[in-house]
Amino acid sequence: MSDLSLLVQMGLGALLALSVYLPLRCGQLSLATPGFYAIGGYVAALLSTRWPALAAAGAGGLYPLPALLLEMVLAVGLAVGLALLIGRPVLKLRGIYLAIATIALVEILRVVNLNAGWSGGAVGIFAIPQPFDGPGGYLVCTALLLALCCWFCARLEQTRLGRAMAAIREDELATRCMGVPTAQVALSAFVLSAAIAALTGVVAAHFLNTWNARQGGFDASITTLAFVVFGGSRTWLGPVLGGLVLTALPELLRPVGDLRLIVFGLVILVGPILAPQGLITPERLAALARAFPARAAGGNGVRR
Amino acid sequence: MTAPPLLELEGLSRSFGGLVAVNQVSLQVQEGTITGLIGPNGAGKTTLFNLISGLTPPHAGRILWQGAAIGGLPPERVNRLGIARTFQNLRLFGPLSCLDNVLVGLHSADRSPLLAGLLNRPAFRRQQDQLRQRAHELLELLELDRLADQPADSLAYGHRRRLEIARALATGPRLLLLDEPAAGMNPAEKAALADLIERLRQRFNLTVLVIEHHVPLMMRLCDRLAVLNFGQRIAEGTPAEVRSDPLVIEAYLGSQA
Ligand SMILES: Nc1ncnc2c1ncn2[C@@H]1O[C@H](COP(=O)(O)OP(=O)(O)O)[C@@H](O)[C@H]1O
Ligand SMILES: [Mg+2]
Repeated sequence: MSDLSLLVQMGLGALLALSVYLPLRCGQLSLATPGFYAIGGYVAALLSTRWPALAAAGAGGLYPLPALLLEMVLAVGLAVGLALLIGRPVLKLRGIYLAIATIALVEILRVVNLNAGWSGGAVGIFAIPQPFDGPGGYLVCTALLLALCCWFCARLEQTRLGRAMAAIREDELATRCMGVPTAQVALSAFVLSAAIAALTGVVAAHFLNTWNARQGGFDASITTLAFVVFGGSRTWLGPVLGGLVLTALPELLRPVGDLRLIVFGLVILVGPILAPQGLITPERLAALARAFPARAAGGNGVRR
Repeated sequence: MTAPPLLELEGLSRSFGGLVAVNQVSLQVQEGTITGLIGPNGAGKTTLFNLISGLTPPHAGRILWQGAAIGGLPPERVNRLGIARTFQNLRLFGPLSCLDNVLVGLHSADRSPLLAGLLNRPAFRRQQDQLRQRAHELLELLELDRLADQPADSLAYGHRRRLEIARALATGPRLLLLDEPAAGMNPAEKAALADLIERLRQRFNLTVLVIEHHVPLMMRLCDRLAVLNFGQRIAEGTPAEVRSDPLVIEAYLGSQA
């Protein structure tokens, strides 16, 4: 794999981590991200290969960018619609029960995708047209998307929705007694999470050139959760760092051969033991900001 | 015709398993008064607050807010009707700063659309400045302003109790439920808190329902007292009436005299 391709994958990992982070930020252990990621990928794969107008646009030359944007809009619309539909009942569950329900959702989607006629079954969909002629284009696209999502999450911390999310994570009942409609807040976080995952899926499908039901299964639920646990779930920088580092690590460890999986596992294990809150916490950011006053960044919502 | 009481409880009951924690309790709270709720540990006082604030649904009876039934409403709706509370076992948002704790209380007052906030529009910044100023005023009133940037879980116990009050006041209540706000304070601190409650009532036109064990303090602070014992309201009246009630003397005051 080229260095640029690895950077693209790291960016996609960071995006998925942000998608897992948003519900966790408000105390909801939702692992539905890979399900919405799969939806985004299928929307991109199906539209660009099977919808005549779009498929023809891709044949021969580069796949046009407006078509890519259209896929993004449709994928987000579909994911948001599904998130709104299932969010209310599913988010009544708490903790590990919510985790299990969302894993079940991901599995249902996977089995449907595996068996539905339009999805190409186990083989999947091939020859997804390329909007960019090399990994460089994908890198720019992914970096732009990641920057947009980071900006979004950073600004969110400054709004009442972001504050309400932080409060719910600490004490949901007390938050309700302050007049905050917590069910609505949790649903918003879930929907935003679905939107980011679907966007990521659209880019990933083109980048990988092929899409099948193995994209976005239970493994992905756990890996993306590890990104956030490793990086920290109380400020947006944590998951971004976790996603970047933990996506890169298995590739960087290739020289050590089979040992790499063990090292990777150890990192995921030891990280939370040494830093239970994740590598990046608002408190550490505040300490950094004090040490380097001119370059203060992020996490003003919460301080220690 | 006289206006209905601000809050009225009619035969309110709630049990847990076989235990009747609140048993057929009726109570009227008139606007502008401070009503004290006293009774031994386990009498059902906190459960009564949980019923009023919507955290626990009642099994029987009615809760009337200005004459309209509100039993069974979720806590966020009850709060927005104008009922705010503090918690006996302190439920602050630990890692959030004092200021942010109060800002969560100002959630409903924050009318900025999400998009304006994301784009950091001037109108959004103006409103946030106003809200922050209101939060600082509340903190100042409770003598917490110099701790505004400290996380709530770093505060001393007495400060946390006052932060709970600031956060509850931020929701703009007409009725404030205080669950043992003076617990763990020494007599001088308790007296200061009683003065503070009186000041807050005048400043915000509040009606207050307060639970506190220190009976002499309650006698001084409250316009009315209600006594709970084993889930039942065994007495209600002015402090003087309650003090001379034989049932109360036997069940509660008697044991302390
Ligand atoms: N959620 C609950 N589940 C079971 N029992 C409860 C619950 N809440 C209160 N109780 C019981 O109800 C009784 C009244 O408790 P409480 O209202 O906390 O009393 P007080 O505040 O007057 O000390 C106690 O015996 C307590 O154990
Ligand atoms: Mg109690």
